[in-house]
Amino acid sequence: MSNPSITAQVSDKKLPGDLAMWFFILAELTVFAIFFIGFSVSEQLNAEMFSLGKAQLHQTAGLINTIALITSSFFVAIALTQIHKAKAKQAVFLLLTAKAFAIIYISVKIWEYISLFEQGITIETNTFFTLYFLITAFHLMHVLLGMVILSFIAYSAWQGKYQNDDISGFESGTSYWHMVDLLWIILFPLIYVI
Amino acid sequence: MHKGEKVQNNKAINMTAATKGWFLLITLSIIAVYLPEFVDSRSVTIMGALVIVALKGQQIVDIFMELNNAPKLWRTLFLSYIVLVPLIITVIYLA
Repeated sequence: MSNPSITAQVSDKKLPGDLAMWFFILAELTVFAIFFIGFSVSEQLNAEMFSLGKAQLHQTAGLINTIALITSSFFVAIALTQIHKAKAKQAVFLLLTAKAFAIIYISVKIWEYISLFEQGITIETNTFFTLYFLITAFHLMHVLLGMVILSFIAYSAWQGKYQNDDISGFESGTSYWHMVDLLWIILFPLIYVI
Repeated sequence: MHKGEKVQNNKAINMTAATKGWFLLITLSIIAVYLPEFVDSRSVTIMGALVIVALKGQQIVDIFMELNNAPKLWRTLFLSYIVLVPLIITVIYLA
């Protein structure tokens, strides 16, 4: 005869959000893994060029962006705890706060690009900057898509659509946003620090 | 204890865990940036920075993504990613 407490524990193991979103996240992570490994191999082949390129990047701007994205992810995580408590209005406020931090990230990233352009550095300068612009701009596109998703789930929460434990859509949106954060914590040290 | 009280307590724990996770992530990020200034060896810097990446990744996967409460296969997949990718990068840099 099965132990009821063990049965309850097993059934508690649930993947947050929709299964399709998790496959999508895995696919995105795989694409970025190829970028990261490609960048590392290129750095090994062009060590001096990459060292000079990294020296021209603004490390403090990268750190500000790291703090902005982590803080944004934190507000998204606690927005989910509010949805669990059926406090939709508080969750919307927290999502808007998360988006404000994402706007800081986007502003700093655009400032970085403009600073490099003003120095005459473009995507065609050399292999380092080709990869720098490709990888960071691709990540920036994911941040923008993430902001659209956050807006959608905030609007849906405001409309009262996440009730009666039907919060799968909200969880899918927050999981996507955390993926954006997860990618940045690998991207930042790889391109700016080491 | 009523069912409702138990749910409230679990959520309170999640909020505390998220706050601790955020603090740890910020602290580790700052340490990673200033690591090259305190460590002379590039190999040690690379290994240190990538260990920090794995630690930060675990916080995001388990706390923010809530995969510590997910089926084992999914949690293992994501934890493998944040260990394997930095490991492959380390091997490439140190080769």
